[in-house]
Amino acid sequence: MHLLMMSLYAAVTAIVLAAIEPRTTETRAKVIHGLKIFGAFLGIGLALSWLLFPIPW
Amino acid sequence: MQIRDGLSESLGPEYPRKSPAVEALKPYPMGMRVLAVVLAWLIPGAGHFVLGKFGRGLLFLVLIAGSFLLGLSLHGRLYAPVADPTTLLHVDLISVLWSFAQVGTGLCYILGHVLGFGANYRPGAPTYEYGNTFMFLAGLLNYLVIHDAFDIAAGRKR
Repeated sequence: MHLLMMSLYAAVTAIVLAAIEPRTTETRAKVIHGLKIFGAFLGIGLALSWLLFPIPW
Repeated sequence: MQIRDGLSESLGPEYPRKSPAVEALKPYPMGMRVLAVVLAWLIPGAGHFVLGKFGRGLLFLVLIAGSFLLGLSLHGRLYAPVADPTTLLHVDLISVLWSFAQVGTGLCYILGHVLGFGANYRPGAPTYEYGNTFMFLAGLLNYLVIHDAFDIAAGRKR
């Protein structure tokens, strides 16, 4: 459930941020940029969750 | 004014670059700029519709309003500033921040309060915090969308 919510959150944010990206007007570049943002959200979220996992509280 | 395509350059030499458009971007009249910003706040994506960016406007409308509605359906709460006499400013600062985030959705927030949808929140529900998060996301993303509409209206980007 949490992974689904995190993925949905990352997807919405990535699409909006890619759509308003000012540095390029090319659709393909925006799509790639959006995918990078999505991957970064998920990757950092997963990395942080594993880093925090050993903490007992 | 030319748009520097710095992002395409960072993708590598094999990525084909289109040459930037040579015509200068003309700003819209001041009245149109104000209208675009106000509409962009009231209805997510409407500012872009007014400026002729129908695809982007529809995308923002679906994503932002959809995110807000998802938050409501997950039993998230519609916040309003709450008085707290024990604090220095006599207001609960967290409720002010959450309200500010949600106000970004414009009519979604206003209608939510007027029609009582915000009363459906359930703090005990397992999806409560997810609902809140999606409603904050909708509002905060719409602030960025408002800026984008303003930049287009001001002739800073296409």
